[in-house]
Amino acid sequence: MATTESQLEDQEPGAHAEGDTADEAVETRVGWRYTLAKVRRDATARIGFYIVAIVLFIAAFAAVDSNLSRLTFGAVSDYAAAEALPIFDHPTRMPPPGEGNPNQPPAFLDGGTLSSPLGTDPQGRDYFTRVIYGSQVSVSVGIFSTAIGLIGGTIIGSVAGYYGGRIDDVLMRAVETLYAIPPLVLIIVFIVFISGGSPDIRFAVVGVGLTFIPVFARIIRSRVLSVREMDYIEAARAAGVKDRNIIRRHVIPNSFAPVMVYATLQIGVTILIVAGLSFLGYGAQPPTPDWGEMLRIAHGRYMHSNIWLSIWPGLAILVTIMGFNLFGDGLQDALDPRIKE
Amino acid sequence: MGLFRYTIFRLLQAIPVLIGISIITFALANLAPGDPVRLMLQGQEVDEELIRTIEARYGLDQPVHVRYWNYMTGLVQGDLGYSIHRRRPVADLMLERAGPTLLLVLSAYVFALATAIPLGVLAAKRRNKPADHVSRIVALVGVSTPSFWIGIMLIIVFAVQLGVLPSAGLVYPWQPPEAAGHSGYIEHWIESIRHLILPMIALGTLQMATLMRVERTQMIESLQQEYVTLARAYGVPERTILRKHAFRSAQLPIITIVGLNLSTALGGAVLIETVFAINGMGRLFIEAIQQLDYQLVMGITMVLGAIFVIGVVITDISYAYIDPRVTYGDRE
Repeated sequence: MATTESQLEDQEPGAHAEGDTADEAVETRVGWRYTLAKVRRDATARIGFYIVAIVLFIAAFAAVDSNLSRLTFGAVSDYAAAEALPIFDHPTRMPPPGEGNPNQPPAFLDGGTLSSPLGTDPQGRDYFTRVIYGSQVSVSVGIFSTAIGLIGGTIIGSVAGYYGGRIDDVLMRAVETLYAIPPLVLIIVFIVFISGGSPDIRFAVVGVGLTFIPVFARIIRSRVLSVREMDYIEAARAAGVKDRNIIRRHVIPNSFAPVMVYATLQIGVTILIVAGLSFLGYGAQPPTPDWGEMLRIAHGRYMHSNIWLSIWPGLAILVTIMGFNLFGDGLQDALDPRIKE
Repeated sequence: MGLFRYTIFRLLQAIPVLIGISIITFALANLAPGDPVRLMLQGQEVDEELIRTIEARYGLDQPVHVRYWNYMTGLVQGDLGYSIHRRRPVADLMLERAGPTLLLVLSAYVFALATAIPLGVLAAKRRNKPADHVSRIVALVGVSTPSFWIGIMLIIVFAVQLGVLPSAGLVYPWQPPEAAGHSGYIEHWIESIRHLILPMIALGTLQMATLMRVERTQMIESLQQEYVTLARAYGVPERTILRKHAFRSAQLPIITIVGLNLSTALGGAVLIETVFAINGMGRLFIEAIQQLDYQLVMGITMVLGAIFVIGVVITDISYAYIDPRVTYGDRE
């Protein structure tokens, strides 16, 4: 019996994709290729894809490039040391004394210089550099939080959907409860109480991720409910494959397509929430260049004297989230063509 | 199952969720390091005897399950606890601050509905024409912009640069005009509207964008229904079709979205109250969390969760009353 089981498990993932009992699996695979082709033809989805690609590129390579191009990335001298640090631990980015004037306007206004195209902040740091670095915090936080929600939601949703009955009821009720408290409030409570009053971006990542579990669980569960009725699941069960392995190898892979769309849209939402957290002081902490944190400083004292401090980080957030939304919408239209004109 | 029994059933269904919320808030507050009594004493040197006396007075020396039971029985009787930090009942503290937040959230919804419904209908009517594209861009920008940044931009434009609207605080219309230094009710109410405009737009934009998307999709769908085609074939004017035939059935999902988005709106109020320096529940929450005032934080979380749960139940019930097609027979 043991050998039969392991044999079946070994060949199963590839086997049912080609076999004709596995309609669902074939459909998802073809579906993916078809989806990508459709996204490529859709103009708005393409714009979204390019925005996301550019932001990801900037986030990934800003640190590498910073000491190469002075004009593009502003005051550079002490960045070299910063590059070795992990992504969440940026030190204060302060140019050497005398290099930047505090609150210098952007280059296209009187008093601006080309070396600081977006002006400088109250501490004389080049604002362009900080906005660029802000993409690192936002994008990585967005991806990590969404991943936590995705993994947690997938586990809970697939277990609930596969077993049904009492387990389903308890798990889904628990998850819906999390959904009832306004996410921002729940996340702040989580961050402050878990960190003991000294918030940190790492707690924010986990907190935001946890609050996303409900939505992912719900989507996965509804897919699993239809997948578990498939013949190949019945076949695997009849052959004595353990439930855990059925869920891991058959149920989850075949329920995943709609969740990926949702995850793309969710990265945008995450960035929005984390910006709000940082704005309130519960996300990224001061020396870290984060868009929400930069807006917090700008809102506090500089709305009258230097409006540019408020404008640039907000525009950066807007463009980034718009990219994720356009791309996600395009994916959704391609997967679910009912409402497409 | 009749409507009345459905109403009761839905209300009973909300109870486990409310219990769940109380468990979550209680657990988070108890996982937290540091105990409230020492925090209240703020590092003063006092003997252990005094600390134990205070703990005993507030029941903090009991084991966890007893404390939770006490908390729960209090909640059932409408007692949200006692803020050791502020030395006042949590319910009183929250009542004082509830007005501004309710005013803000309700007016944001009024703004969102008043703009989203006409624009959504227009977009559906002129589908794939310029008006439609404009509305879609507005909706896209609306869901992609942080509400607090909209607030900051509105302050910069209308308060700092143009100087036409106030940038901070609210004037409460329910207060007597003398309290705000106004000579009469007319001036008082005009002032309260002027103070409300910017925060209302900042908080309402996200709701407007989501509602507009839904309204557009729903209108497109209902304009494709057979009874609309039939009405057209009979030569019913397009205006009448829009207003009488297509419009009504398209509004139901809007009600659902309003209910579900209540939680986002209440969370957004925390940010908007910070941007505009409004003394509502959102600010109270931030103050409470900064002071590590556990009882107050628990109370606010509990009430916000309860507002959402009750909102969803009311949505479901009103849905069943409005739409005769909704079957409330068996589960789901």
